[in-house]
Amino acid sequence: MAKSLSARNIVKHYGGVVALSDGNLDVHTGEVVALIGANGSGKSTMSKVINGVVVLDAGQLLLDDKPVNFSSPQAAKNMGIATVFQELSLIPQMTVAENIWLTREPMTGFGTVNRSAIKEKTEQLLSLFRGTYKTELRPDDTVGSLPPDEKQLIEILKAISFNPWMVILDEATASLDSRQVERLFELIGDWKGTDKAIVFISHRMEEIFRIADKYSVLRNGKTVGAGDMKDINDKELVKLMIEKESVFSFSRADSKNDKKDKPICLEVKDLQTDSLHGVSFSVHEGELVGIGGLRGQGQRDLLLSLFGDIPYSGVISIFGNAIKLRHPRDAMKRGLALIPGDRAREGLLYIRSILENLILPSWAQYGFPLRIGKAKKDAEQAGASLNLKMAGLAEPVSSLSGGNAQKVVLGKWLMRRPRLLLLDDPTKGVDVGTKAEFYTLLTRLCSEGKTILFYSSTDEELVGMCDRVLVLYDGIIRTELSGASLTKENLIAASLGASNEGAV
Amino acid sequence: MKRHLTWEFLMVRYPAFFPLILLVLALAINLFLQPNMFDRETLNSNMRVFLPLILLAVGQAIVLLGGGIDISVGGVVSIINTILATRVGLDGSPEKMWQFVMISLLVGALAGAINGFFIAYLRLQPIITTYATSFLYAGLALFILPNPGGGIPAEIANLYRTSTPLGLPLAFYVTAILLLVWSYVSSTRYGKYLFAVGGKATAAYETAVPVTRVQFSIYIISGFMAALAGIALTMLSGSGNAEIGGQMTLNSITAVVIGGNAFSGGIGGVAGPVMGAMTLSLIQNIISFAHINTWWETLAKAMIIVLALAVPGIINLIRRRRA
Repeated sequence: MAKSLSARNIVKHYGGVVALSDGNLDVHTGEVVALIGANGSGKSTMSKVINGVVVLDAGQLLLDDKPVNFSSPQAAKNMGIATVFQELSLIPQMTVAENIWLTREPMTGFGTVNRSAIKEKTEQLLSLFRGTYKTELRPDDTVGSLPPDEKQLIEILKAISFNPWMVILDEATASLDSRQVERLFELIGDWKGTDKAIVFISHRMEEIFRIADKYSVLRNGKTVGAGDMKDINDKELVKLMIEKESVFSFSRADSKNDKKDKPICLEVKDLQTDSLHGVSFSVHEGELVGIGGLRGQGQRDLLLSLFGDIPYSGVISIFGNAIKLRHPRDAMKRGLALIPGDRAREGLLYIRSILENLILPSWAQYGFPLRIGKAKKDAEQAGASLNLKMAGLAEPVSSLSGGNAQKVVLGKWLMRRPRLLLLDDPTKGVDVGTKAEFYTLLTRLCSEGKTILFYSSTDEELVGMCDRVLVLYDGIIRTELSGASLTKENLIAASLGASNEGAV
Repeated sequence: MKRHLTWEFLMVRYPAFFPLILLVLALAINLFLQPNMFDRETLNSNMRVFLPLILLAVGQAIVLLGGGIDISVGGVVSIINTILATRVGLDGSPEKMWQFVMISLLVGALAGAINGFFIAYLRLQPIITTYATSFLYAGLALFILPNPGGGIPAEIANLYRTSTPLGLPLAFYVTAILLLVWSYVSSTRYGKYLFAVGGKATAAYETAVPVTRVQFSIYIISGFMAALAGIALTMLSGSGNAEIGGQMTLNSITAVVIGGNAFSGGIGGVAGPVMGAMTLSLIQNIISFAHINTWWETLAKAMIIVLALAVPGIINLIRRRRA
């Protein structure tokens, strides 16, 4: 039976932030629609609207041309729409079978779960991916003990176990290995034939071109293009994803001087962690090097391992000295500072005062007993140099705006006079004015000889600010962009692993 | 098959494995100190003392499995004790007794429902809520019976104290029935929901498990079990005392944790906590038989409990070091 779902002019705000301003999508049975867009273009919001996780602010959902309203994930499920989430909805303590059939267990006449039936049905589902498991996967294995890719497979099986007509795969291939992706694509092919519709969200260009029949491109919350995959190539797709006139008007005051004659500040050789698979690069003193790519390609692991926050293998040398970073204090001793983007969780003690937050990393240098007068004076100075707008040092950080709070995070590390700054998406949720101040500040720090490694999820920032940008893809440096090749188009193309990487 | 016999597998799949070892150990030491332990009379006098804590531990186990905690169970025990001691009285008729047993069970469930309402529907912290209501219930018990006194008819108390159908203590049958009921409940859909909510409530919600109702239900079960414990304790003591349940709360939680249930929820069962409750009671016995100076009793008991709690952690630590 042919079915269809259409989203028309969807609007969704999160607080004051517009996630979707005009989202459109048409899905019919028997086709795979790729939902494409750069970071923050509204892809996930779109998928959350059609599976009922968020309630739309304006616009309309049409199921078989009749208006529908999904108030909860359950409502969408009852309409036969299943979602494979990237953030898994599995219960780690329970078994594979219990997880897949939770709330839909086959029952015996005595009101108990029919153990042989649940096992048999699970075996059937598991056989869909047989041969791609690392060890033999059994229905009574505990989910918590499985590797991430197998958890993801269970999540997929759970979604299709109630035989939906539409499956949304939200970056479902991200943690799968190539054999598992192959198998999934074969299955998607089968599903198409049995009157299912698939919405495929992926950041891998190659996968999109292999599996999708239609595409729908989002840019800044608007659907800017849709059509048949056979009528478009990857270059045209990338073009669609890019803003024509950039709202970003910052360019560095000093020309991006060549710093190749400066000494090497940081050298990384074959760095490996759970999500990094051999990264090597070096950074000269005074350079501002960007780290780009789509979210979750290993950027965070790179910064955290450089700060000694997570275990890694490989060699990290700072100013020519190879060191083993076992703890953030090892990195701090060598003049490193990590400015996290998630202020609330990692950067600040919100209920404590600005002063306490500012001197937290350096209180030891104010001696015992604490020389509070000197600490206050230094904090005042740091605040002034950052143009921090505050009622007083004794005020709690929670009284500051997002931009000013982020300045406190930066300030607390600048008080230690670091030589190498690691920035983890520092302008997330920061207002435009403060962003501009931030850019000026970063430029000034670089001209003062500080070295900066700058990860940002905003591509314009990287293009506008950095001397060079390392583009991460699947845990390796896919491309390095600098000089004339450092354009937004190249950056996005490289982020998606498209064919025209870096070449201009 | 090999990977199935790992320590984790045993701990997760058979949570009662470690408490069983502890129980056997405690039994062996106890038997050494008290050679006639398995005589009918001694066994019965032990089991009837153990039963109230066993009942309480079963209720607490369900709450912990569902991801909560109930600190008010001791207060509920006290309320039930004072109700029975004041309303039935030493010269009350058996009919009156059974009537108030029914009322007690209702009161226990109601006390649990109050906890459950605050926690499941008003989304308050379980530990804070039940800590607060524990004072409410303890205060209510004191209101009902300010000074120790009252009681239940001796014939009914003796029914509990001396019944040994087929040569086994009454408490033994009660415990067996509890385990049977649990083995049924744990394989129903409700049982699966219980593990799901305790394991990861957000994931359970996304999978359309009625999280709120499950959370509500576990406190009703806990209140009901506390009422049963209160009834058993009253029949054991035969008299009323508003402070009788006060220290039982912590013992019930200790029993459940020794019994192998995860404090964070979603792992464990009921057999383990039952064994934990028995182990805890046996430790008390061992202490008194070992003629330890009264002043040291609390310290000795606490050290044994801390050791029992720490051993699984220590084993894990050694395993991690070796890996």
